[in-house]
Amino acid sequence: MVQRQNASTGEFVDKAQATNSKPLGRPSMRLVVQAPFKTYFDDRVFSVSAVNSTGPFDILPEHHNFISILKAGQLDIDGVSSGHQKIIIGGGLMHVKADRITVFLDV
Amino acid sequence: MRNPSDISEDLDAMATMLDLTGAFQGLASMHIAQIKNRVVASQRFFAELWHIYDQIRVDELFHFGRASGENVINKELVIAITAEGGFSGDIDKRLVDELLQNYDKDKQDVIVIGHHGAIQLARAGVGFKRYFKLPASDSNINVQPLAAEVKKYRTTSVYYQTYISLMSQEVKKIELHEAVTTAGKNVASGGGLIDEKTYIFEPDSFAVMAHLERSMMEITLSQTIFDSKLAQYASRFRAMSAAHDKSRDNRDNLKLEFNHARRAKSDERLKEIINGLKAVRL
Repeated sequence: MVQRQNASTGEFVDKAQATNSKPLGRPSMRLVVQAPFKTYFDDRVFSVSAVNSTGPFDILPEHHNFISILKAGQLDIDGVSSGHQKIIIGGGLMHVKADRITVFLDV
Repeated sequence: MRNPSDISEDLDAMATMLDLTGAFQGLASMHIAQIKNRVVASQRFFAELWHIYDQIRVDELFHFGRASGENVINKELVIAITAEGGFSGDIDKRLVDELLQNYDKDKQDVIVIGHHGAIQLARAGVGFKRYFKLPASDSNINVQPLAAEVKKYRTTSVYYQTYISLMSQEVKKIELHEAVTTAGKNVASGGGLIDEKTYIFEPDSFAVMAHLERSMMEITLSQTIFDSKLAQYASRFRAMSAAHDKSRDNRDNLKLEFNHARRAKSDERLKEIINGLKAVRL
């Protein structure tokens, strides 16, 4: 079973448990994934998963302010309207503040 | 007077020239529009990154993304961004001339981008450290090899071409770290302080800061390359525009010459017929 740590609380959570349930009125965040010349994603999401130097991590609503250098891999997005989506990235930088996540690619 | 059939051949050639110069004009203006949009998008991206960097920064110095204690070459790196081939007017020559005026081989190392500039520097006897081809693509440019060189030097200045308007392009010189910080100063500040008390950093705040500096330097380098390409397309557009106008004038003159030649020939034939008729009557 894949276990991931919630960066805001420090608790270990089951990945399946964290992403499978979608109650109505579930809190969401705004995610923007952009490169210098293109915006790849700009919409509300329930969660985002990525990989940094310490391993895979998830961002959920009400996450603590967070800046991380991302490793090459993929962004797993659970979008409010777009559903599950994956974006392959060659690295980048993630900034999280007040339920707004910005991922800068090609940097 | 020339034969009308010869003039007609020249007219066809001139019509082809008109079509070609018109097509090149169209291509150049299309590239100009595309690059302008990219530069605007990249400026927006830079502004967002700077906004984060500005809140983390603990001092006024820009470190080129270097880790503390990293050794640097105590020289100035000079980067010249020129065109890859001809058809770019005299702007490359002006750029190389300006670089040579301030060149000191003991205190500076030169990196040249673009074949046209490399040839001109070689002719002037300047040995450059590295040569990069000017990227043909107008989309993503990989400036990491260039940024890696920049990181090694104490300071870096860039000579490049700027787009003022379709009819005017200029040579510009910037100090790279000043260009980054000046671009950043144009970004509205605010949003509070980012430190380890209010944020979680992965892997740590120094690594994030170095990453941001490196990224912004790379964006600034790409912007100078795009600016140069924009100026080169504008210069090409101007050259094609002049060639198009000249071709149109030539075509109009040839048409006039063709009509005169055709009339002269028919007048001559008429004269021969009348003279023939006169001879028969006599």
